[in-house]
Amino acid sequence: MKVDAVKTFEQIKKKLHDSSDIKSRMVQFFGTQICLCYIAPITDNMLLNESLIFPLVNFSKEIKNNDIVKELQDNVLANQEVTIFTDLQSAIDKLLAGNTLVLIDGADKILGCDLEKITVRAVAEPPTSVVIKGPREGFTESLKFNLALIRKRVKSDDFVVKMLEIGEMTKTQVALVYFDSIVDKKVVKDITNRLQSIKIDGILDSHYLVSYLQRNKKSLFKQVGDTEKPDILVGKMLEGRVGIVVDGSPIVLTLPFVLLEDLQNSDDYYTQPIRVAFVRALRLVGVILAVLLPGVYIALELYHYKILPTEFLITIMNSTQGIPFSPFIEILFIILLFEILYEANIRMPQYFGMAMSIVGALILGDTAVSAGLVSPPAVMIVALSGITFYIIPGQASQFSILRLIGVIVGASLGIYGILLFCVFILSYLSNFDSYKSAYLAPTSPYIEEDQKDSYMRKTIDEMKKRPKSIANNKKNELRR
Amino acid sequence: MKVNYRQLSIMVFMSFIALKFLALPSLLYIESKNMSLFVALILMIVDGLYVFVLLDLMKKSEEKNIYEFMKSCLGPVLTKAILILLILKYALVVGNISKGLKFFVVENLYSEYNWFVFVLPLMILIGFMIYKGVRNIARVSEMVCWAIVIGLIYIALKALSGVDVLSFLPIFKDGFKPLVNSAWIHISWFGSATFMFMMFGFVDFKDEKKSKMIKYIIFAILIVQLLYFVFYGLFEVTCPTHNYCISDISQFSSTYSAIDELSWLVVSMWIVAQAVQLALYSYCIAQALKFLFDIKGNIVSIIIVMLYLLAWSFLGENTIKMEQIFFTPFASIITFIAQYILPLLLEIAFAIKKVNKNKKKVKNERNEKEVKVNI
Repeated sequence: MKVDAVKTFEQIKKKLHDSSDIKSRMVQFFGTQICLCYIAPITDNMLLNESLIFPLVNFSKEIKNNDIVKELQDNVLANQEVTIFTDLQSAIDKLLAGNTLVLIDGADKILGCDLEKITVRAVAEPPTSVVIKGPREGFTESLKFNLALIRKRVKSDDFVVKMLEIGEMTKTQVALVYFDSIVDKKVVKDITNRLQSIKIDGILDSHYLVSYLQRNKKSLFKQVGDTEKPDILVGKMLEGRVGIVVDGSPIVLTLPFVLLEDLQNSDDYYTQPIRVAFVRALRLVGVILAVLLPGVYIALELYHYKILPTEFLITIMNSTQGIPFSPFIEILFIILLFEILYEANIRMPQYFGMAMSIVGALILGDTAVSAGLVSPPAVMIVALSGITFYIIPGQASQFSILRLIGVIVGASLGIYGILLFCVFILSYLSNFDSYKSAYLAPTSPYIEEDQKDSYMRKTIDEMKKRPKSIANNKKNELRR
Repeated sequence: MKVNYRQLSIMVFMSFIALKFLALPSLLYIESKNMSLFVALILMIVDGLYVFVLLDLMKKSEEKNIYEFMKSCLGPVLTKAILILLILKYALVVGNISKGLKFFVVENLYSEYNWFVFVLPLMILIGFMIYKGVRNIARVSEMVCWAIVIGLIYIALKALSGVDVLSFLPIFKDGFKPLVNSAWIHISWFGSATFMFMMFGFVDFKDEKKSKMIKYIIFAILIVQLLYFVFYGLFEVTCPTHNYCISDISQFSSTYSAIDELSWLVVSMWIVAQAVQLALYSYCIAQALKFLFDIKGNIVSIIIVMLYLLAWSFLGENTIKMEQIFFTPFASIITFIAQYILPLLLEIAFAIKKVNKNKKKVKNERNEKEVKVNI
């Protein structure tokens, strides 16, 4: 490759279809013409001036090397990272990633300086994982910032960051992070292979990778963990998990994933164990209510009303009298109404949100009951089930589908159907082993050692060993 | 796809209690009256001992499945004959559970509905569980086991205050003959360890603790004894009229606030327990069919099992009488051979095989030595 500052720049511009944001700055350096080629929106102007233009223009010392490329690299360019390219395409790839290319007349190489302008929002508490106690830092959309947040917490030489590039068009940076001596190498290899085999135009968020990482692609159930908080990620990595950080996404994926993870909260580790046991039991009850309550209510109303205590039965009969719909249609109607309200509420501008809540909850709900279209117990049942979804927000989307299935099963087969449905779900989830970890562990298979942090939590000093449920290399070594 | 030792212990536990709370307590009462408790106790202890015989055989089989193991000990013809016998035993259990579940659901929950509608989702569930293999059934058993136990203990304790302890006295007033008669007639309700034949080669003995298995067996015996004690103490001479012990204890116990109140826990947990047991024994049939006809894959054997389950849903109420007349003596013989003769036969066959193998080895060594001397 022979570089001609002007012609090579023209060549690059042509390759990039004469994009208007490709800029250049010509500089004379001891009689040699140098072209600085950069993409304006993603280049830090101040850095460009300070580390490239100023040193080149004001260099007054004698040149020590005959090789101008080496001289620039060693003594002139005030940039921490200077890369040498021997082919044009790799130089263009780096230009697109925020490098400024130094095109030197007559040279056979191109220099690249990383001057990427990082636009990032401030580190804030993620809205999906609010805590009462514990760290409030959350990931941002910048990969570099996110890695810095992890590095801040990890000072071990065991910590590994493995970079990958995914997406033909977006060339998104994806980082695999893990502790080398803790993680199961086969799991890392498996994840790396899966990621490297991805053929896609672009990765715009970490969730684009989820379907490539799942074993059961069409399953309703979540198989890849995620977190927005560096403290949670480091905690998971210390147990042997691998983190997948994607540039442009504040959500970091974690693998292997077990169902119990979503029953745990980062708050749990900063609270008294007795309180944690109580809260986790509540969450478990919440899951059952979220998924089964409307289905069980329909089953009782349609088939098993004799089972209900007489006083309770009379109350329900009084409130359901005169309702024009069957219990199934009634519950279905309220569920759909709630789902529509939910969808509208989260997508609506914030200032409309409050008004929407009032219209939805008060006006629509209250009017429907007063008009005799739906009964108060049905509204209460669906509302209670809807609220309990968010006891475990990570599973809310799955729960809403399961609830709908539960309603259909309850309406068609009653309690018997609901019970078979429960056994079916358990049976289905029992097979979800992925990345050498059982999905329902440590409940099934029961792992006694891991009960220290399952439905109850022991104190931090009692949790001395890494969990066996997660594939890792240091099962028996001291954890803390 | 192996099950661990704890899961096997739980499966044994579930199998031990599965058939015991349907019609068995009232059937036992006909011959042995209040002393039926002892019939159940003795047969369950014997079953418990056979669990260890089968575990011993499993270890001796060295990862071989039952077909390969029996073939190596007994030859192909006898092996196939035994497989037919085992299929009959499993089919009896599946039929019994299926029938029990049918009457439990239809009588207690949906008196106006056709069982045929309910058997279809059950078939889907069972088919799915068989397809996913024995580890799936083991894991589900592991998860639901304790909820079932809590349900059973709850109903027993709730009804305990209504039990008339004096009704059990004097004990053994009719001697031991009725007990022996009753044990033989209803032996087909026992033989709870026969499912273990199909577990050969599927058990991981890595974390084996015999004490764990013993605890589960004792626990199963205690639960059955407790519920039988409550059942016989509550209903006394009217026991034979109460066909379904589990639902009748909660429905007709005078300690309940309202007659006809059905305990929620019983309804829920009993259906779950029966579904899981149905899956286990259906899996055993499917597996035995695979060995018998050398079927590749699972689909064909699953379809056959599903058809068998479906057939049970077509049989009307008269089948109870039919079963009592036609099946019981036949079932007793099958169970007796499958559960109590076969393990011993296999132990003997294995011992003979081992002796023969050793003799052959010694003979070969001697021959080799003679050849060396001649050279």
